[in-house]
Amino acid sequence: MKTGTYIELVGEFYEGAVFVYGTTLLLIYALLAVLSLSAVRRFQKLDSHVDYSLLLNSKLTPGISVIAPAFNESLTIIENVHSLLNLNYPKYEVIIVNDGSTDDSLEKMVREFDLVEVDFAYNERLKTKPIKRIFKSSNPAYNKLTIVDKVNGKAKADASNAGINASSFDYFICTDVDSILDRDTIMKLVKPVMDDSKKRIIATGATLRMANSCVVEQGFMQRVVVPNQLLPRFQEIEYIRSFVMGKMGWSVINCVPNVSGGLGMFDKEIAINAGGYDPQSFGEDMELVIRMMTYCINYQINYAIRYIPITLCWTEGPATIKVYGRQRARWARGLAQLMWQHRKLVFNPNYGRLGMIVMPYNFVFELLAPIVEALGIIYYIVIIFLDAINWDYAILLLVFVYTYAIMISTLSILWDQITYQTYKTSREIITLCLTAFFEMVVYHPLIVFYSIKGYYNFLGNRKHTWGNMQRQGFGQGGARARTVTATS
Amino acid sequence: MLLDSLFGPFFRKYFYYYDSYPIVIQIAILLTGVAITTTFIAYSSILTRRANGYLKDVRSKKINQFLDNLITDHIIFNEDVMNGISPQEAILDITPFTKPVFKQKWVKQALIDRLIYFSQSFSGDRNVLFRRLFMELELEKLSFKKLKSISNSTKIVGLVELTSMGIAVADVIILPLTNSKNRKLRSEARIAYIKLSKNDPFKFFDDATEPLLLWDQLELYKIITTTEGLTIPNFARWITYSPNKSIVSFCLKLVIHYNQHEAIPAIVKLLSTKDHYVRADAINCLGKLKADSVEEHLVSIYNNQPLRCQLEILKALGRFGTGRQINFLRSEFLRSNDFDIKKNAARSLINHGMQTKEIVQQLIDTASPDNAIILKHCMNPLIKY
Repeated sequence: MKTGTYIELVGEFYEGAVFVYGTTLLLIYALLAVLSLSAVRRFQKLDSHVDYSLLLNSKLTPGISVIAPAFNESLTIIENVHSLLNLNYPKYEVIIVNDGSTDDSLEKMVREFDLVEVDFAYNERLKTKPIKRIFKSSNPAYNKLTIVDKVNGKAKADASNAGINASSFDYFICTDVDSILDRDTIMKLVKPVMDDSKKRIIATGATLRMANSCVVEQGFMQRVVVPNQLLPRFQEIEYIRSFVMGKMGWSVINCVPNVSGGLGMFDKEIAINAGGYDPQSFGEDMELVIRMMTYCINYQINYAIRYIPITLCWTEGPATIKVYGRQRARWARGLAQLMWQHRKLVFNPNYGRLGMIVMPYNFVFELLAPIVEALGIIYYIVIIFLDAINWDYAILLLVFVYTYAIMISTLSILWDQITYQTYKTSREIITLCLTAFFEMVVYHPLIVFYSIKGYYNFLGNRKHTWGNMQRQGFGQGGARARTVTATS
Repeated sequence: MLLDSLFGPFFRKYFYYYDSYPIVIQIAILLTGVAITTTFIAYSSILTRRANGYLKDVRSKKINQFLDNLITDHIIFNEDVMNGISPQEAILDITPFTKPVFKQKWVKQALIDRLIYFSQSFSGDRNVLFRRLFMELELEKLSFKKLKSISNSTKIVGLVELTSMGIAVADVIILPLTNSKNRKLRSEARIAYIKLSKNDPFKFFDDATEPLLLWDQLELYKIITTTEGLTIPNFARWITYSPNKSIVSFCLKLVIHYNQHEAIPAIVKLLSTKDHYVRADAINCLGKLKADSVEEHLVSIYNNQPLRCQLEILKALGRFGTGRQINFLRSEFLRSNDFDIKKNAARSLINHGMQTKEIVQQLIDTASPDNAIILKHCMNPLIKY
């Protein structure tokens, strides 16, 4: 057989496979758009009747533990802990896990919150690096606060596990100490748990957004602003699409693959029985959720994971390519690691929706997508050089994919607006919508590149470096700079 | 086919080669048309929603200001009531509320909403006047009309309005709604029934087939414990007979709130129920009622119970604080390998106060380091849980 025929055969096969792949993906997006719209509208309809203040004065309010690991957060730790201590909820505790900080985070907290070392009965249900000391405040105003000081575990997962071990209540919220939480976060996250008697709600999540350019005062969000810088703005659209359309859509059919590490509430008993966060994992949040689901299926627990479309947490997104690349490579590596670790679940009918929808989708359309895209680009280049391209068809297909991608992003923004009009001015919305036009050509190639880099790191088992991330900080001027470890 | 009929003619007119393209490309072209159209619809929806929201806000602010002024002048500062005349006999001038502007449906709705808002902010005489105004303007007819709507959302709005204004609704209308498949309607109907039913406000407990969700319990708990003039029944009735576990569990919480010692025999019977969640709730209730007469019984069943119930028994013994089970608590603390059992046994020992001071000190002196830390943890006033 001639070389030309081989290339043609491979080309035909590839084109056919990509056609099926692409069509399925587009159909899934369309389905998610419809499902998420129904979920968003349903939430909005029901939520308008809910009186959350009932939780504030009731003896029936369930207790919640808020766990926030911290590593070298000295510049902002005091403000952030104050904001965690001032959430609108009557029965909760705040557990800050000082993960072996090398700066003066702990000393600052000891001074500010009148901390004293206590004999604390720490139950090590999840194995972690050793605990050095545990502090409580001698000031009654801070009686909700517990500080766990431990040896650095080189992973947020290890610190989170220590927090879970020290927690007292049946549900815990895991967040980052530098994230900005809405004051009503606990009330909103606990509601879905109290609203279901048929299923055990093992986790609830909410939308996360970029805090870059937002106005934050004393640790609380004062005004949400679309990020001024292009990279965080792309991430803003990506988050809206992922949370409001993706996770809300999946939640309708109880197929949520992940509850973000930035903010999520979990059933402690299930989380502990499933083994807690895996410190070896690069995507510990998704890995825990997959293990919790697996545990529930193995023990025939009728579980559900719920998502709410309102934004309760703002996090500072990477503003430079270097930091962004490190974050995305890590996430991709985490996904590859997770898929390898849980490969037996993929297309396993014994695991119901987890085995037949969640894992296959994540394998085929999340893990393989960057590879398929990269191969597509190479294929395009090859056929251009071989002069085998039909420019008319190629351009028409590209225009289709481009307009479809813009449609999905715009619909996500619309669903977000249906839920809550986050931005003050229409100009901000227009800016966001216009950014969607550049996403495919500017931002998407970055995702593909860093994802493949992450897979390469996974396959080569390269050591992950915990580089420092220069954060801009929040506030009107955004002038405050702080250095934290890039763990997200 | 539908796409083709919608977009096909356009593309045939402006794309000369459209029909010569393969089907895949034709579909791609059609879907491009759909994507562009949908995107533009989305843009216009976003902008329209924002504009409508803004206009609605402006309109609401204006009308609410107008209504607030009227309500303040004629109801809150009602001369007769201020001069000591009872609100039932005071002259209520409703003419300002019958101006042509009130013929508009949305203005009437705004008035209903403001009256509800004010009646929740005020109590006593003013509330009677708000209710009188509501009735004299026949606004309750609008609310009753909503109750007859097909839409569950509209029914909910009607129920909330009638409940908030304290308008009586016949049992025959509300009772069926207390078992509605619609969760929110069911919940609002239950609240309304408790607040408005003249005969037996807790009757729906008898017929409740749907479970009382924790959120429903939160709402009902507030209504039951804050509604004035509500005759509180002996909840033992449902603890004994209700087949609905969530009703039993909720009644146990109410028994604790109202300190209904007369319900203790019914609760004791629950100790033999097969559902260990309900059993744990029952033990918790007995502990909080300080029903120390069942202390021996609880200790006797302790070893056959699952962990959840064992922990509740340990807590209950601490709450009783009779001093009769100190040895049992001490031995559980020393014997058990379970952290939670140790912690709860220690806490209950410490809750005995002076009775166990020496024993606790002796345990600290002789216990293993881990056990000593548990005791110190429980003794430390800075540690709440």
